[in-house]
Amino acid sequence: MPNPLRLFYMAVWRNILTLTRYKANFIFEILTSVLFGFGMLILAVAFDTNLLGNMIGSTNYVAFIILGISYQSWQGIALWEAANMFRNELNTGQIDYTFTCPFSRYFYIVCNIAASAVQSTIFFLPLFCVGLYFTMETVTPLGLLLGLSATLISVAALAQLGAIFASLVLRYREVTAIFGFFNFAFQMLTGMFVPFQLLPLPLQIIGYCLPITFGMDLMRHYLMKTIPIMPVTYEWIVLLVELVVLALIAKLAVLYLEKTAKEQGLHYL
Amino acid sequence: MNAAIVCRDIVKVYNSRKKKVVALNGLNLTVKEGEVFGLLGPNGAGKTTLVRILTTLLKATEGYATVGGYDVDKEESKVREIIGYAGQDSERSAYFRLTVRENLLYFAHTLRDVPRDVAERRIEEIAEAAGFTDRLDRHFIALSGGEKQLVIVMRAILHNPQICFLDEPSKSLDPITARRVRSFLKDYARDHGMTICLTTHNMLEAEDVCDRLALINLGKLRFIGAPSEFKRRVIIKETIEIGVNNIPKPVEDDLLALPGVSKVTHGTVVRLYCDDAFSILPDVVKVMKRAGLRAPVRMVEPSLEDAFAFFVKNGLDEVKEDA
Repeated sequence: MPNPLRLFYMAVWRNILTLTRYKANFIFEILTSVLFGFGMLILAVAFDTNLLGNMIGSTNYVAFIILGISYQSWQGIALWEAANMFRNELNTGQIDYTFTCPFSRYFYIVCNIAASAVQSTIFFLPLFCVGLYFTMETVTPLGLLLGLSATLISVAALAQLGAIFASLVLRYREVTAIFGFFNFAFQMLTGMFVPFQLLPLPLQIIGYCLPITFGMDLMRHYLMKTIPIMPVTYEWIVLLVELVVLALIAKLAVLYLEKTAKEQGLHYL
Repeated sequence: MNAAIVCRDIVKVYNSRKKKVVALNGLNLTVKEGEVFGLLGPNGAGKTTLVRILTTLLKATEGYATVGGYDVDKEESKVREIIGYAGQDSERSAYFRLTVRENLLYFAHTLRDVPRDVAERRIEEIAEAAGFTDRLDRHFIALSGGEKQLVIVMRAILHNPQICFLDEPSKSLDPITARRVRSFLKDYARDHGMTICLTTHNMLEAEDVCDRLALINLGKLRFIGAPSEFKRRVIIKETIEIGVNNIPKPVEDDLLALPGVSKVTHGTVVRLYCDDAFSILPDVVKVMKRAGLRAPVRMVEPSLEDAFAFFVKNGLDEVKEDA
């Protein structure tokens, strides 16, 4: 019978080998932990409703958080669904068949993200409705329409980042910790759970570059009547520009990374 | 007859930080339209690498290849339109929670652009030809390994490709299912004029299905031709088989003393390799009688497996294919 102690230390050995074999993933694993600690500090400050009122013009913390969580589920799908799909296809070998089929890789990724976003919407709809219930005093039909439109554009822009991450899977194999890092960074730097205005300026600058920031800010503005971080028109323009620019970058990245992956072969991943 | 696949001076080098592996080293070959072509070779010979290059999954380091007249590097989307593919170890490469029918419909209609009604009809036709109709509505996860592999082969030809690449299609199949798949592929290729390029380690499959074979080793072409030619090429000696697994040393010496006998091997049967089996057969029987051994003695045609084993052990020089 195997020695239990050996079972334990060999399991540790195996895990450490796996963890350190993919260097980038290992580094991001550590960075995520640092970022998480920092995020918790900000979250503690944000629980002060007076501070929240001063920052965003609303003390409706419940709606603020629920809408943030709803947004998070869309963000998760947009950013990681395609990457997870590719990882799964790599594990089962399906990617070989997929990549011998005649279609645009970019649209394959984006369409799969969209399909999952629809599926995800069905499941998180009750939560979103609860969020809406808490905004009953401020929400209007037009506000709801505009808020959802901003969300749609920002999720579409995020899906472009998702396409880039999916292509990274083709090239760099194990990227789960990198995902984890960006996932948490996106949540902390875009005002998902803590007001964007609370962030230090250098972090706000990073947040301005992420499409979630304006999508979520516009949704909260239209649903909760919060003070937007920029004039509303500017936010719409930035959101649309981000969508176009990210779509272009994503198309090029998918092409480039598929080409690079082909040098070594997808089965090497 | 036109060429379905052309490879010219294909080189593939895998570069990693620690080492450089030359998988293909200046390979040339041509597959004719409508033929079933087998790629044979020991493990690591470069068969799968070649199939991956031809199916646009991998880029050759040097040389060029065309599939259906299209350059696999410059016209990859054209190549993808006319090929089918079933990869090695791909029996998990479908959606486990969908039925076989749903899986096939998804792949054909979504990824291969086959109209839905045509795809549905084709699924029925192919399942019937493969003897799989009764399992079309079972979940993929509930199938056995061999059945899953058969579904993957069905998926490869569902959109009626001009050229189909199958990487070890019968690897995990039991002999009966493997025979059914072979007969299905052979009939399908003949009836639809489809070119099939398959890699295999199964010599029975190669002999049974393939019109021609290419033998690859260390990234080079060692033989190309019909299975019968291959056997003639590598088995230079004729063979007599004695139905015992061992013979005493003096008897072996007497057999080796017969004219033209070069080697005696022991195994499940005893084999004599000689120049003219027909002439010495009576002498072999005499030697056996003299030693008081009663066992069946017969001349045997060398199998493709014998030829392959001979090839792996002794090797063959690189051959140049006529362009």
